[in-house]
Amino acid sequence: MQQITDAGTEARRKRARRTAYILGGFAVGVFLLSIVQMLKV
Amino acid sequence: MAHAATHDHHDHHGAPKGFFQRWVMSTNHKDIGTLYLIFSLTMFFIGGAFAMVIRAELFKPGLQLVQPYFFNEMTTMHALVMIFGAIMPSFVGLANWMIPLMVGAPDMALPRMNNLSFWIMPFAFILLLSTLFMPGGGPAGGWTMYPPLSLQGESIAYTIFAVHLMGISSIMGAINIIATILNMRAPGMDLLKMPVFVWSWLITAFLLIAVMPVLAGAVTMLLTDKYFHTNFFNAAGGGDPVLFQHIFWFFGHPEVYIMILPAFGIISEIIPTFARKPIFGYRAMVFAIASIAFLSFIVWAHHMFAVGLPMGAEIFFMYATMLIAVPTGVKVFNWVSTMWGGSMTFETPMLFSIAFVILFTIGGFSGLMLALAPADFQYHDTYFVVAHFHYVLVTGAAFSIMAAAYYWLPKWSGNMYSETWGKIHFWSSVISVNVLFFPQHFLGLAGMPRRIPDYNVAFANFNMISSIGGFWFGASQLIFLGVIIHCVFFSKKKAADRSWEGAKGLEWTVPSPAPFHTFDVPPVIHDDELAHGNTEH
Repeated sequence: MQQITDAGTEARRKRARRTAYILGGFAVGVFLLSIVQMLKV
Repeated sequence: MAHAATHDHHDHHGAPKGFFQRWVMSTNHKDIGTLYLIFSLTMFFIGGAFAMVIRAELFKPGLQLVQPYFFNEMTTMHALVMIFGAIMPSFVGLANWMIPLMVGAPDMALPRMNNLSFWIMPFAFILLLSTLFMPGGGPAGGWTMYPPLSLQGESIAYTIFAVHLMGISSIMGAINIIATILNMRAPGMDLLKMPVFVWSWLITAFLLIAVMPVLAGAVTMLLTDKYFHTNFFNAAGGGDPVLFQHIFWFFGHPEVYIMILPAFGIISEIIPTFARKPIFGYRAMVFAIASIAFLSFIVWAHHMFAVGLPMGAEIFFMYATMLIAVPTGVKVFNWVSTMWGGSMTFETPMLFSIAFVILFTIGGFSGLMLALAPADFQYHDTYFVVAHFHYVLVTGAAFSIMAAAYYWLPKWSGNMYSETWGKIHFWSSVISVNVLFFPQHFLGLAGMPRRIPDYNVAFANFNMISSIGGFWFGASQLIFLGVIIHCVFFSKKKAADRSWEGAKGLEWTVPSPAPFHTFDVPPVIHDDELAHGNTEH
């Protein structure tokens, strides 16, 4: 059985949060790009 | 191995005792998966009830039961509820339940966001369904919400807010799935050792994040056109209604694949189990899913051949669409090759999977016919299109979800379902669904338009047959509900940890029912334990 230390688990969760921020930022970026038409108003 | 993994120092944390703490405040991937599955089954029956209204009205020519506006509300709501309320949340529920178990993770990467993703959904659908009881009625312009038609009612504001909420929920769910798969896999679970279901969801989640914000943008502009006097889609003010169609289908076509790629993953799990062979061409299967996902971004205008696109665009979108047949064909041939020479048995999940392969392929073929721009001028907006997408979404997506429910119910509940009643459900469904949808091909080729409450008497016979099939199919799903309730609450037959003889993968190494916490200590990955672990051959 392979043990992952608490520090290892915390590192994985930290990486997961960073992944989520990047993906969330990407989603917001796509949304803004899709309403770029509004700039012409 | 994995039994030990479930009995570590964290296992003294059981499920919370109170109902509120257990279900409303849940951060457990299994409980949230269950919530998603219950929610989607509820929506399946609500959307199904709308379909019954549609088929009852179309049973005979002439206006029988409902007014035309209400009929349009039913077609619109049926689609919105089935797509966003039934199919998508059920796949997210399956992802929640199975992905952590399949990759050896203790839970989803972001459990509190997982809770929020789910609990947004009931509010979104209460909001959407409440419009049916408001003065002026609910949305009736079709699920595609094309302006100016969709802007005629006042309920569009509620619909748009509901769509925004569904979008936020889907995006958060997708982020969680990607974060889990990329960061929470057990040591040794390389990307190319993951089950195909996990791969299919990884790719689907990227599609979701890429296109749901586009839908949000499109409906936001609809909202400002309606209430803030902008003219994005208003030709009288210098806008362009066709622009909406481009933006909508840039979301809408990948959305179709969002509803079918996880189905491919499910079928790729079930067929090897009951053929007792590893999946044929694991890497090709993964590559095919990725190819289909990529192609989904460059085919959107095949929904718009009839709006008057430039010839070059029609030809590009026609050929790009036909190209999708290549990776899809790879998948179908690989499923057949997996079965070829296998030691097959035909339990209910396998029956649904085989029906999926055959009937989804019929939907694929009619899709190829629709991809031909010159032919599409005849088929466009007819019942041929209705037949096509119901073969893809009912005998494709919905059948795969039913297959998945039968396949994993023993793991979820700890009990075996009634195989006899499962098979009755299957045969009743597979016959009735063809009685329901196959005649719609003929109706469409004969020229019957979609989204109409009344029709020429020339279409009467096939409509009557289709409606009989519809009522039969609807009634068959009550058997499904009965089988699930019996399995979860009353079945005396306990499931083994490895509920199916040929099943491989980490999810079958934990007890049945799966304990509240699993893999707090990551499992050791043995290649021979994984369905697709040995990918070198």
